[in-house]
Amino acid sequence: MESFTDLIPFFIQNFINALQRGSFYAVISIGYSMVYGVLMLFNFAHGDIFMVGTYIGFGIATLFLSLFAGILPGPVIFVGTVVVTMFLASWIGVFVEVAGYRPLRQAPRASAAITGLMIGIIFETGILILLGAKRLSFPPLIESVSYNVGGVYFTNIKVMIIIISLLLMLALHTFIQKTKWGMAMRAMSYDFLAVPLMGVSINIMAPLTFAIGAGLAAVAGILYGQAYPILDPYMGVLIGWKAFVAAILGGRGSIKGAALAGYLLGFIEIFVATIFPSTLRDLIAYSIILLILTFRPRGFFGMEHSTKLRL
Amino acid sequence: MKIVQSIKKFLSNIPMAGWLLGMLVAVLIEYFWGYDYISYYLGLPKIPVLFGAIIMLKDPTMIPGALAYDLVVYVLPVCIVGKASAFFTNPLAAAMEKLPLWISVLIHLCCFYGILSLWAGINDYRVLVVKLTLISIILTISINVINGYQGEFSCSHPGFMAVGAYVSSVITLFLFANDKIFGAAVLPPSLGPWLFPFALIMGGIAASVASLLVAIPSFRTRGDYLAIISLAFMFIVKSAVENINVIGGARGMGGQPDLAPLYVIFIWTMLCIWVIHNFVTSIMGKALNAVRDDEAASESMTVKTRKTKMTAFMFGAFWAGIAGGLFAHVLTYINPGMFSINRLAEILAMVYFGGLNSIVGSIVGAVSINILGEALRPLELFKWIIIPLILIFVMIFRPYGLISFREINAGKLLAARKNK
Amino acid sequence: MTMVFSSSAFCKRETVIKIGINAPLTGDIPKVGEGTKYAAQMWLSDIEKAGGLEVGGQKYKVELVIEDNESKAESAVKANTKMISQDDVLAIVGPQSSKQAVPAGEVANKYKTVMISPWSTNPDTTMDRPFVFRGCFLDPFQGPVVANFITDEFGFTKAAVLYDVASDYPKGLAEVFKDAWENKHGAGSIVAFESFTTKDTDFSSQLTKIIQSGAQVLFTPQYYNEVPLIVKQAQELGWKGPVVGSDSWGSAETVELCGEACYGQFFSSHYAAAGAKGATKDFIDRYNEKYGYIPDDVAALTWDALRLAQQAIQDAGKLTGRIDKDRQAVRDALAKITNFAGITGNMTFTEEGDPVKCAVIVKINDKGEYEFYKSVCP
Repeated sequence: MESFTDLIPFFIQNFINALQRGSFYAVISIGYSMVYGVLMLFNFAHGDIFMVGTYIGFGIATLFLSLFAGILPGPVIFVGTVVVTMFLASWIGVFVEVAGYRPLRQAPRASAAITGLMIGIIFETGILILLGAKRLSFPPLIESVSYNVGGVYFTNIKVMIIIISLLLMLALHTFIQKTKWGMAMRAMSYDFLAVPLMGVSINIMAPLTFAIGAGLAAVAGILYGQAYPILDPYMGVLIGWKAFVAAILGGRGSIKGAALAGYLLGFIEIFVATIFPSTLRDLIAYSIILLILTFRPRGFFGMEHSTKLRL
Repeated sequence: MKIVQSIKKFLSNIPMAGWLLGMLVAVLIEYFWGYDYISYYLGLPKIPVLFGAIIMLKDPTMIPGALAYDLVVYVLPVCIVGKASAFFTNPLAAAMEKLPLWISVLIHLCCFYGILSLWAGINDYRVLVVKLTLISIILTISINVINGYQGEFSCSHPGFMAVGAYVSSVITLFLFANDKIFGAAVLPPSLGPWLFPFALIMGGIAASVASLLVAIPSFRTRGDYLAIISLAFMFIVKSAVENINVIGGARGMGGQPDLAPLYVIFIWTMLCIWVIHNFVTSIMGKALNAVRDDEAASESMTVKTRKTKMTAFMFGAFWAGIAGGLFAHVLTYINPGMFSINRLAEILAMVYFGGLNSIVGSIVGAVSINILGEALRPLELFKWIIIPLILIFVMIFRPYGLISFREINAGKLLAARKNK
Repeated sequence: MTMVFSSSAFCKRETVIKIGINAPLTGDIPKVGEGTKYAAQMWLSDIEKAGGLEVGGQKYKVELVIEDNESKAESAVKANTKMISQDDVLAIVGPQSSKQAVPAGEVANKYKTVMISPWSTNPDTTMDRPFVFRGCFLDPFQGPVVANFITDEFGFTKAAVLYDVASDYPKGLAEVFKDAWENKHGAGSIVAFESFTTKDTDFSSQLTKIIQSGAQVLFTPQYYNEVPLIVKQAQELGWKGPVVGSDSWGSAETVELCGEACYGQFFSSHYAAAGAKGATKDFIDRYNEKYGYIPDDVAALTWDALRLAQQAIQDAGKLTGRIDKDRQAVRDALAKITNFAGITGNMTFTEEGDPVKCAVIVKINDKGEYEFYKSVCP
């Protein structure tokens, strides 16, 4: 830290780093937030759905690369991988809803949360049994190119991650605001009991919500594989919990809030480690979250109503 | 089905005292003949632990042997002695009914402890499993106060446990052990067992003070914020401990004096059950349930909701701290990684598996998950498929856990049985 | 049951030599557990081929008791207690990582059973524990080795460290390295001492700080699943200098996952697979043939630990069948072993049960092999 002029690229560098980190939290916490908004339950399996999505993405990417490498350009393979993975991972989401959560529709929410936790453990162990102890390396789908602009280093992958995440969120926002399905979702997060009386079938809405969340998580997984190419069956655990924090921080049922909170989490993590000694990172980062909640007990965009446990 | 009914009928007139006597005989049989004769002639290498589950899973050819062992050593003696002794245990139980309940309970508990320590004493691995199971019972009951009776979703229990574990360890290391951190022992080690409760209670108090960090912000509103505030708290504790190099940081802290033999843990567990039972059946406990079911209504019925919630939360945290202290002195080593997400998943699994709002449920949950976890050890990875599946099925068929909103009447349990 | 049976029934149980293996088969580092298990099974098949283990002119059957410690401290304690009190093992090999080896060593010492941890480099594992030994060098030795190597090789004076604050081994080694480096180059010569938390995958803010600090070399004592991410991210953020590692890099997976980004980097280790000779080469070839990959240092050290246990059992002279006596005899024999020719180097134990052995500096060559670069002896 010599002088002020040196600090500007340093700051921009960290800003870009934080944007990338925040993108992941944002996209994953949206899936959390949707389920939380529509069904009012913590889907603790979401982090592991993200993990399974990443593994599916890995499989599809490897398959496509073996078939079309050299025939089709990288971006085409990338888009193909994203589309197919999204489709397959959505079914994982549907499966989790139908097998794990549907029988518990009338049960207390905490039981559903435990079920989610257990489904997550089954996913982790299942992957470990299927693929063995070996860590896998996600194949790069797009040639990484580094740029250096005035001492700020970034790669095309970083830019791509930030842009695609924003596009995803925009698409989802449009879906929720403009379509009939989206309207039903918003209605459910507003009043869970009245909506089924209006002819909206909860048995269609719930799997749909899970499918969208899982699809988003899987795309996040592919991007994650491009940025941090080491797959590990337990990779979803920590990121799942952090996304959970972001989803609630954003406020119940608020997609916008979840996305913002995800970015905020990314920024808190990166900048706390930058400003303070990095050993204290978690301590300070979570203390900041505690403080935010102390002063904004409903999160950023939380609605004013009692969220009572249905015990 | 007919057979089951007739067996049930056959055994229906055995009082608790009779069962205990049967267990005593079974344990004595194992103690004197288990190794030299019974396990030898059944082709088992040793006396099986955990009722032979581990042997069966490791080596399927041993299944008949292990089952036969269980039958010969446990099932048959318990049933036969129980039935045969019913003629004098029933009058005995009837005589004890005339005593105050607590005396009768105490007598039964002492007998039970004697049998348990005999059974476990055959092998130190059993002792360790029993110790950790008892500690899990304390943990599960204490989280039940918050997640069951109070109806919140708290994730901070591992954090409270860590606070209790570290505080009590620092005290005992400082006072009774020669170690690298605090130098020579301040007091003679012979005082250790007498002052150990003080160290534990300090750990518990520290945990309940720390719980204010969660309670104060989260009880300003109702809802799910407690879940993430408590989660954040857990991470904060872990990160804080990692940054304090005096207590070992990530390297952990070892060398606690071995102050937690089986009887100490047994006494603490029984104390915990008794105190928490009294707490939840007191006016405070009723108020707690009222707050859970409808906060606004209970507020209008003169329940001090905020004070009630705070007290219960601190109370639950206190016992988690005690459990942490015991845990540290059983393992004689702790590190911050022990009190993280894995531990949280385990604690939540135990309380929701056993049942909400029930002390008996918590005991069942803690014992089942502990024994399952040990017994399925030979399956390695598949253990983590089977246990979650069992839990999911329990959640689907019994959403509130196996035994919820019910308590067992101690007086009835110990009463004499009439012949039907 | 009548008392007709004499107690001779009790003597008819044949004496079987049981060796306990306490390995992390599940949890954070399953690959380490896998290597441990494979090496142990290979050792057992060798013993079985020879028709058992010969002690004092009598052949005994050998059994392995493999327990999973789930990478958790309490599970390692449970596994050790079970193996000692239930399975009557004669000696235990494992656990591998220090966070489990330290508490498990306490148990082994309490029950007077030999425990050899192949891979734990934390001094506390064996300290004041007569029954606990290890098969590798210690962190206080490894840290200065790396510091000296960097100084001699590159002539740098400013170093940065990136380590996991929540994990026992990296944190310990990072601190040892820091002290060694500052002893050489004066206070302030560690220009960045940055940390992250286990399971993190994004090190950009720490690396940005490190690059900003003007460090010439980055030392990162991390495991194989983190090294590739650290090296790649550092290069993406404009890091040009070398990244130096420690023995935790020594897994076959490090290079597999890291690819070309790691070529040309150095790390300190227990042995180098590429270009090995003699018994070491035999072991590598056999392992590779059987399991399809080059064994990492964990497998090699486990192999050595098992052969040490075997040697000690044979040196004990005879087995009485009384397990406590035999354990004591094995312990005494093990402490006396001098100049044991292991595949990871020659070993002689100190009073504490730590071997005096050399470290190897390994270079990752352009083919991605772990090439012997130089050897540093105490």
